[in-house]
Amino acid sequence: MSGLGRELWFLWRDRAAKVWLLIGCAAAGLAVVFGLTEIAAQRDMIERLKAADEIERAVTTEGHREDWGSAAYYTFHLTYDPPEEFAFAALGLRDASPWKHRVRMLALEGQIHESDAANPDFALTGRFDFAFVAAMIAPLILIMLLHDLRSRERASGRYNLLSATSADVRMLWFSRAAWRVGALTFVLLVPLWIAGFMSGAGASKLFAASLALLAHLLFWWTVIAFVNSRTWTSTVNLTALIGLWLAFAVVAPAAIKASVDAAIGVPEGGDIMLTQREAVNDAWDLPQEATMTPFVERHPDLEPYAEVEGTFEWKWYYAFQQVGDQVAEPLSVAYREGRARRDALAGRLAWLSPPAKLERALQRMAGTDALAALQYEDEVRAFHADLRAFYYPPMFKGEAVTDAALAERPNFEIPAKGR
Amino acid sequence: MTAALEAVNLTVERSKQTVLLDVSFGVAPGEVYALLGGNGAGKSTALLSFLGLLTPKSGSARVQGRSVTDDLTAARRVTAYLPEAATLYEHLSAHENLAYFLSLAKAAADRAAVDRALDRVGLQPEARDKRLGSYSKGMRQKVAIALALLRDTPILLLDEPTSGLDPVAIDEFNTLVRSLADDDRAILMVTHDVYGACQVADRIGLLRKGELVGGFERPAEGRIDTEAVHAAFAGRTVA
Repeated sequence: MSGLGRELWFLWRDRAAKVWLLIGCAAAGLAVVFGLTEIAAQRDMIERLKAADEIERAVTTEGHREDWGSAAYYTFHLTYDPPEEFAFAALGLRDASPWKHRVRMLALEGQIHESDAANPDFALTGRFDFAFVAAMIAPLILIMLLHDLRSRERASGRYNLLSATSADVRMLWFSRAAWRVGALTFVLLVPLWIAGFMSGAGASKLFAASLALLAHLLFWWTVIAFVNSRTWTSTVNLTALIGLWLAFAVVAPAAIKASVDAAIGVPEGGDIMLTQREAVNDAWDLPQEATMTPFVERHPDLEPYAEVEGTFEWKWYYAFQQVGDQVAEPLSVAYREGRARRDALAGRLAWLSPPAKLERALQRMAGTDALAALQYEDEVRAFHADLRAFYYPPMFKGEAVTDAALAERPNFEIPAKGR
Repeated sequence: MTAALEAVNLTVERSKQTVLLDVSFGVAPGEVYALLGGNGAGKSTALLSFLGLLTPKSGSARVQGRSVTDDLTAARRVTAYLPEAATLYEHLSAHENLAYFLSLAKAAADRAAVDRALDRVGLQPEARDKRLGSYSKGMRQKVAIALALLRDTPILLLDEPTSGLDPVAIDEFNTLVRSLADDDRAILMVTHDVYGACQVADRIGLLRKGELVGGFERPAEGRIDTEAVHAAFAGRTVA
């Protein structure tokens, strides 16, 4: 029996180790099943919403074609951020940040920040996804597999016999630990790869995720090896390692979040929505020039058509909707930049917490992180800008609504993510 | 004759306490040397020094003329160790334990050789594929002895080998140790069993508080005088 084969056989005969590996496999399996189910539900909802959106838009378009203002007012447009193939592994911010909006030609910022997070309760605790298993549960299982590797032998009086008998005692402890690390990595990755192939995630992404997991487990192996190098009892080893797990996996991420939030102030989404809505509501009582002047600064091509003659005209109405967005724009920009800066700082500080770093890495690969949420918001803004560019000219020029013109109306399309 | 094992002015500290002080003795091939002493006398410390599990503060532990500290691998290759209350793996059978530990030592032994060793130590064939968890202490000790036999090393280090064994098992063990010595093996045995030491040893060294305070040698005929050793052990006479 070779050294490596011997220790693999020894691992196979270790009932407690097999139980922990089974728990790891079950946790990873459950996590990917939950992830696949959630992603399938999100895709299904998007498909149903797309179908309903088409029907509703056809009906409202048919019923409100008297002018462009009515057509724009009554017509909603579905926007959505479909989950990527790898999103099953790390659901990330898709619980807390919206991945679907119905927008229309009114002021946009309020529509964006009316959060539609599916279940706020989950946003508090996080989903039981593969990223959670890999970042939080896998280190605990590894601790259970390795914490008493030597101390158990000392306590039973075998340590000296093993040391005196082994031709290469370092290789003995290395191979004994390495098989456990390898076996845990294997039982965690098998469900991931199966789910990855089922969902169509690319092999390169699965490979990258596997490497990230392996690096994470190697970090914990190093920590455990350091603790095991002391001649403490199994109980003391376990206590020390659970303490380190709490520090790295719970306390450090919480401290990082608190520090980042304190260091970089970000306006609340609610403030942006309130600012925009107050601006819109105030506009009803202001002279029309107060709206049209800042509006035409953004649309000089429409200046010849910007004069408002009656007490109400759609072009004035939509102009003050846009000006509402313009008033909220500094807050909105600060919000986006702040979140991006927070994300960048949190990413750097996450080196202090390998579990947090792993979760972030998996969420980035899955397109479910803060940057992906911001990217989707920007995609909604770009689409809304396209809608304005479509509606404004005929509306301001007083042109008739025609089928030919409506056929040119923008539809939301998913841009290439490039993640 | 060159000593297979030799302690040369060996001084060892554990937890900043001197537990072995300037101890010197040698064990020749074919000889059983018993280090006798009470609890904390330093017996096991001396033995662990030959295994390289403790580093001397001064002096040296030598195996086949070479300092253990200088060439640990070579020392362990020629040394088999039988720990006190040998706890092999309880979830493995005798055959599995032996296969595992022999593989650790990179020693080859086929099933027939293993069974011959187990025959020699007197472990019943029907017990050999049962888990050690179901064994008595004596049976476990026999498996550990079989391991030492199978390694077929010229040096045996035995730490309280008869501790906890019944009198019949002790007699069987002592007979086995003598036969191993007769095969030209050097055997260092540390024990506090005066009777067992006198029965099996060619020479006895008496350790007290880390110092070698006396010695006895087997006469040309018969055994070392148990009464004399016991008196010295109890501090009533000087050996």
